[in-house]
Amino acid sequence: MDAFEIELKTFFLQEAQQLVAEAEQYLLQLENNSHDESVIDAIFRIAHNIKGSSRGVGLTAIGDFTHVLESALLKVKQKEIPINAATVGLLLECNDFLKTSVETLIANHSDERTNPDLLSRLEALLRGEIPGGTAAVEEAAPAPHLHVVPSTSTPPPPTAAPKTDENIRVGLKRVDELINDVGELVILQTVLMQQRHLIQSPLLQNTIMQLNKITKNIQDKSTSLRMVSMKSTFQKMQRIVRDTSSALSKEINFIGIGEDSEIDKTVADQINDPLVHIIRNACDHALETPEARVAAGKPKAGMIQLAAYHKGGSMVIEVRDDGKGLNVEVIRRKAIEKGLIKEDSTMSDGEIHRLIFHPGFSTKTEITDLSGRGVGLDVVKTNVERLKGQIEIETSVGIGTTFRIVLPLTLAIIDGMVLRINGDERYVLPSNQVVEVVQPESADVECIADRDDVLKLRGETLPLFKLDAVLGRSKSKRPATSSVAIIGHTGTMRFALLTDEVIGKQQIVIKQLGQDMARVRGISGGAILGDGRAALILDLNEIVQAR
Amino acid sequence: MESSNPKQAAVSSIRHLCFSLGEEEYAVPLAHVREVIELPEVTPMPHSPAHYRGIMNLRGQILSIIDLRLKIKGSKQEASNTSAVIILDFESFFVGVVVSSVNRVVPFEVDEIKEPPRLENSHKLDYIGGVVQRDKKLILVLDVAKALNVEDLRAIQTHSTVKAA
Repeated sequence: MDAFEIELKTFFLQEAQQLVAEAEQYLLQLENNSHDESVIDAIFRIAHNIKGSSRGVGLTAIGDFTHVLESALLKVKQKEIPINAATVGLLLECNDFLKTSVETLIANHSDERTNPDLLSRLEALLRGEIPGGTAAVEEAAPAPHLHVVPSTSTPPPPTAAPKTDENIRVGLKRVDELINDVGELVILQTVLMQQRHLIQSPLLQNTIMQLNKITKNIQDKSTSLRMVSMKSTFQKMQRIVRDTSSALSKEINFIGIGEDSEIDKTVADQINDPLVHIIRNACDHALETPEARVAAGKPKAGMIQLAAYHKGGSMVIEVRDDGKGLNVEVIRRKAIEKGLIKEDSTMSDGEIHRLIFHPGFSTKTEITDLSGRGVGLDVVKTNVERLKGQIEIETSVGIGTTFRIVLPLTLAIIDGMVLRINGDERYVLPSNQVVEVVQPESADVECIADRDDVLKLRGETLPLFKLDAVLGRSKSKRPATSSVAIIGHTGTMRFALLTDEVIGKQQIVIKQLGQDMARVRGISGGAILGDGRAALILDLNEIVQAR
Repeated sequence: MESSNPKQAAVSSIRHLCFSLGEEEYAVPLAHVREVIELPEVTPMPHSPAHYRGIMNLRGQILSIIDLRLKIKGSKQEASNTSAVIILDFESFFVGVVVSSVNRVVPFEVDEIKEPPRLENSHKLDYIGGVVQRDKKLILVLDVAKALNVEDLRAIQTHSTVKAA
């Protein structure tokens, strides 16, 4: 294979991957609204497109398969084949096959796959026979009813006329390099702004001011390049609900809100697994069987709502179900059984709910095919925390449960607080870990035992850490009263951290520390401050856990 | 010697950057050197060994600064008007080392670089890749990866990533 051919194939496969994903969305819409001709047109156009370009680059297996698929779609379009759950099921299967074919081909350009069984069923459909095989099973099951509520007031209808593609594909690496360079530019610009009074000429001063404005714009725009729409995430989750509901013979409505929200590319890629896990759990464990729902006076069809919205500087993703809610007693018994808590321990309901994130915790005794494959919600929690996010539960018995994941908007930039200790050493503390900053009075600080100081704050007693001592820097002799106490929190625990001074707040571009550096506990990364100096970013969770 | 046949010299010689640590002169292959800078402002790193000076900002990239004299000779390199930092290139990352002074760039003939003298307990000196005799002085050719225990650092790094994944 020569280089040009490889390039052509790579380009086709990238395009096909997008097209297949689009087709899936349309197919799911088709199920809801089987009379919308523009949807069928769109699917037909995609199949036609893939057929043409796959043959063009010599991938004949895909070409031949999509040729048959296209003929079938043409008959659907001409209303010769009825649109029902069985037809859509088969078409989705075809789409899945194309998806896996494309994925295998991306890994290995000469690994073309065929699926004679699927092809023969497609040909049967083409001959006007009722789809058999697995599709028949699907028909026997109650047809899953899916409903999507788009976030915008004007639902984006699948347009019939082909739009010109106004996007260009750019490698993530190039974007990251650009963001790095812009970070540098911003630092230089800060120096220029701070020193501009040294310049006599009003024209130059003015130019610096304008440069500052433009630099800010460039910074905003370049960081927004890493942001991607959550559409594909929503699409994937809708599909999960659809497949899970038919496998469980439950009727489940999927509601998506805010699929146009934008999120950092890395976060978007890594949030899928946790969401799939939560949603499968909700379908399998939280939502009752249709009979139980009717008996409880609820609508027969269960509801799973996926919502994404911005709040403050964070991205919130919620998975809400209207199932039976978490049962405190069941969780408690299970936790005692597993030896996670003592029989006589007193815990609030919230604390008991959080036990489901404990490693190895699973309340359902029989392991079903869909969820409960030995990995628990603790994996979800770990994944979310790796993205510097937090997960919360809200639940009420009989009404439902909400899992709320709060994530930083971007992994590259955070709001940070610059601290000074030990003379002139500076550290950055992510603002989201800080509750408040107080100036302790001498009466507030108490020494219990030899070394464990505590800070009394409005009746609450908080453990008090000295930042310089924790970091192994020379201990300052400063009395606590001339220091500043930062009140931080990790999950449920609150604590105070004594530092010399809070210098200010600023946007911090997170820099990876060099590969040569061993991971230091309590340090999550590096940053470059406004004066061009390198500083370390602290991770309070790790600092406190190490104590 | 080199001047008699420059063409051959270009093939069989390797250019080295020579620098001093205290009284001794060392050399590293120029291909390993990214650049030389004056002693920058260094941010100390908590819980790290003494020879690890800290981190610095090199045009937006954060890299480690190591006191090479302290690391291999046990005495701290004080800042002076000749001291400098050599940024070494390890392909996947850069490290800066503090040296007493940077002297010159010299091509060494390949056969001019001799095996280092083996002493008792010479394993401690395995970061010396060879020695070159020049103007009645000895220049020690440094094996930078060994001198900085890059393999150790990599091992730590891989280990911690595996644990994180």
